[in-house]
Amino acid sequence: MSLSRLQTATDILRTHTRMQEAQAHQSRPAALVGADQVSAPLALGASAVDRHLEGGLACGGLHEVRSPLARDIGAATGFALGLAARAMQADRGGRRSIVWVSDPATRGDGGGLFPAGLAQYGLDPSGLTFVEPCDLQGAMWAADEAAGCAGLAALIFQIKGNPARFDITATRRLMLRARQSGVLALILRQSGEEEASAAATRWRVNTHMSGADETYQRGVGALRLSLTLERNRAGRTGQWLLAWNPKVRSFNHAAPDPLSRTSPPAHSLDRLSAAADRRDPSEKMGQVLDHRQDFGRAS
Amino acid sequence: MDAHPEAPPVVVTDTVKNAIRIVALDEAARARGVRANQTLSDARALVPDLECHQTDDARNRALLLGIAGWCERYTPLVALGSAAPGDHGLFMDITGCAHLLGGEAALVADLEARLRAQGFHVRLCLADTPGAAWAMARYGQTRIIAEGGHGEALLPLSVSGLRLSPALVASLGRVGLKTIGCIASLPRAPLAARFGAEVMQRLDQALGRETEAISPIMPVAELSSERRFAEPLTHQDEISHVIATLASSIIKPLERRGLGLRHGRLKLFRVDGHVSELSLQTARPLRDPQRILRLFEERIAGLHDDLDAGFGFDLMRLEVVRADPFEGVQAEMMTGHATDAGHDALIDRLGARLGLDRVQRFVLADTHIPERSFGRQPVAHLGAPGPGARRSAAGNAALAEPADLAAAREIITRPLILFDRPELMQTIAEVPDGPPLQFRWRGVTYEVAGSEGPERIACEWWRDGRGARSRDYFRVEDRQGYRFWLFRHGLYGRETSDPCWYMHGLFA
Repeated sequence: MSLSRLQTATDILRTHTRMQEAQAHQSRPAALVGADQVSAPLALGASAVDRHLEGGLACGGLHEVRSPLARDIGAATGFALGLAARAMQADRGGRRSIVWVSDPATRGDGGGLFPAGLAQYGLDPSGLTFVEPCDLQGAMWAADEAAGCAGLAALIFQIKGNPARFDITATRRLMLRARQSGVLALILRQSGEEEASAAATRWRVNTHMSGADETYQRGVGALRLSLTLERNRAGRTGQWLLAWNPKVRSFNHAAPDPLSRTSPPAHSLDRLSAAADRRDPSEKMGQVLDHRQDFGRAS
Repeated sequence: MDAHPEAPPVVVTDTVKNAIRIVALDEAARARGVRANQTLSDARALVPDLECHQTDDARNRALLLGIAGWCERYTPLVALGSAAPGDHGLFMDITGCAHLLGGEAALVADLEARLRAQGFHVRLCLADTPGAAWAMARYGQTRIIAEGGHGEALLPLSVSGLRLSPALVASLGRVGLKTIGCIASLPRAPLAARFGAEVMQRLDQALGRETEAISPIMPVAELSSERRFAEPLTHQDEISHVIATLASSIIKPLERRGLGLRHGRLKLFRVDGHVSELSLQTARPLRDPQRILRLFEERIAGLHDDLDAGFGFDLMRLEVVRADPFEGVQAEMMTGHATDAGHDALIDRLGARLGLDRVQRFVLADTHIPERSFGRQPVAHLGAPGPGARRSAAGNAALAEPADLAAAREIITRPLILFDRPELMQTIAEVPDGPPLQFRWRGVTYEVAGSEGPERIACEWWRDGRGARSRDYFRVEDRQGYRFWLFRHGLYGRETSDPCWYMHGLFA
C-alpha cells in the first residue's frame, strides 16, 4: 500500500518535471532555429524500444553503453556505432561526421576499429575522426570539446573500466555541452561496472547467439545483442533482444532463440541505482584473475 | 666568457695531437699569461688554480644555434659561419632590415650590446660581402665598412681572412704572400695553377667579384609580422592581446594574395636571449584572427611545462610558413556550411592542444591483407579531405564496394574490431581444412557452435609469394554468442604439415 503510494508520488513528481521541461522548451528564444529539429528523439527502429523510450533517445544528450566483460566490446561497439549511424542518417542539418575519442587505456587489448567492418553500418571510414590523446585528462578535454561542437553527428568516447577521474562532474559537463550543441554523445565503457553518471540512459550490452539462417544452417547469421536499459532518467528500464539490419540500417527485434539459456523477461526491471564514485577494484597480491572480465589478461 | 670576480681563470681544453691544449680562454687567464694552443701543463705551471673544461662540440653547436635563433630578431636570414668545428661564427644578411632599428650603425650597436649583456664576447663587422665581413670580424678592427669600401679595407689583412685551409695559408706564407693585398695584385693564372682555384674563388667572393649566397638555418617565412616592446610582457592576457594584433595584421596581406594560413609559427623572444617557438597547423586555410588566437591559446595551454615568460618577452613575431589558396565560401541558405566550419575548427583546436598526430583518419592501402589494408594518418597531413562522407577521398571508393556486396548477400564478412597483430591460439580443428571445433585464446577455452568459411586470403599476386602461406579465414560463433574472425595459417599438407591458428578480429 505504502509502496504504491510512493510510486504514485514519484509519478506525479516526474510528470511535473516533464511539464516544466516542456514549458522551458517552448519558451526558448527563437534564435535557436531548428532547435526542435535537433532535439527530435532518435528512434532505434525497434518498435517496442522506441515506444518504451517515448520516441527514442534524446539526440542532444549523453548516453552510456557499457560492456561488463572485455570480450563484449565487439557487441558494445556495434551498438554504439549503430546509434551513431542512425544519428547520421537522421541528417540533422548536415551533420555528417563522427568523432571517436579514446582513452589510451583502451589500446591495451590490441584491437582497433576495422574500416571494412564499418560498411554494415553504412558509415564512410573517412567521416570518422580518431582522437587518441596520451592520457585520460587529454581524452576528457577532447571529448568535452567535441561534445560542444555543433557540426558533429555523434561523439563516441571510449574508456576502460571506471577511472576515478572520469566522475559524475565530468559526465555532467559532457551532458550539458551535448544538450547545447545537439550532438549525440556516447560513452563506450569497456569492462566497466555500473556507476552513477549524468547520462540520460545507460545500456548494458551482451552478445547473444545468432539465429538460424536460411543460407547457412550452422552459420553466423544475423547479429544479435541482448540489451539491458539499466538506467533511464525519463522513464522505466527494460531488457530486449535486438538485431542490427544492415540493409535498412536500423535495429530490429529478434525472436528469442529457443537454444538460448536465458530468455529476457518481458516486464521492466526494478533496479537499484548505481553508486557514484565507483573505483576499479584494487589489485591485491594473490588475487584470482577473472578471465571473463579482462580477456584473461592481467592488464 | 666573463668570469666572476675573484674566481679562478677559466679555460677550455681539447686533445690536439695527443696533448691536452687550450682552445679557448677568458680575459683573466690571458692577463696571467695563458695563451691559446698552449699545453695544459704549461698553463698550469703559470696559473696553478686554473679552472678547466673539456670542449664539447655538440654543446658548442647547440649554443651557436641558440644564438642564431635569437639573431632572427634582426633578420630572418641567419646562417652558420662554416662547417669547421673550431669556427663559431654567424652570417646575417640584413639587407632591407637596418631601417627598422634606425640604420646600420644602430643595428650593429644594439646587436653587440645585447650579446655582451648575455655574457658573450663578440666581434662584429658589417660589409658588402660575407667574405669581407668574415675577414674583418676576425683580423680587422673596423666595425662597419662603408658601401664599396671593402676592396680597400681588406688589402692589409692576413691571407687567413680568406677562409682558406691552414695548410694553404702556410704554403702561401712560404712564398711570402702574407696579406690579401699581395695576392690581389698578382696575375691570376699562375696563382691558380700553383695553389688551386679555391684561392681565387675565395678572393673573388671577399671582393664581391663573385656573388655568394648564405643558406639560412630556418626557411624564410612568406609573411611575418612583429611587435617590439620597450617594457617586456609577462602576462598571459597581454601576450594573447599581442597575438590577436599580429594575427589581424597578417590578414590583409593574405587577403591581397588570395591565401589563407595553413602553417604559422609564433616566436617569442625573451629578454635573456631565449627564444620560444610555437608552431600551428590548420586543416583548412584560415583567415580569422580570432580563430588563430584561439588555436595559439590552445597550443600554449597544451604545453606540458607552461610557457616560461621569465623576465618577459620583448619581441613577438608571427610568421606564415605556409599559406594555401583560400576558397571563398559562399554562405549557404541553410545550415550546411556553418556545421562544416564548426567541425574544422574542432579539428584545429584538438590538433593544436594534443598534437597533430593525435587526430587521425583512416586511409586505405593497396592490399587485401586485412591488417595492412588500412592505416591512420594525421588529419593535418591529409590535404583537405572533406569531413563529410559525401566528399570522400578517391581511395575510399574502394571501401564502399564491400558494403554493397555485403548488403547484397546480407552476410557480414568483415569484423568490426581487428587486432593489429593476429594472435596465436591452441586449436582443435578438422584435418585437413575444416573449421575449428574448440580453441583456447588468451587463457580461455571457447566451444564452437557454428562457423562459416573458409575464405582464402593469399599473398598479393604482384608479389613473389614463394614461401608465403595463405590464410583460410573462418567466421566462428561460440556457445555464448561471441563471434570471432580467425584463420589457419598455411594449407595443410601443401604449404605446411603443422598449420597454426590465429585470432584476428571480433564481430559485433
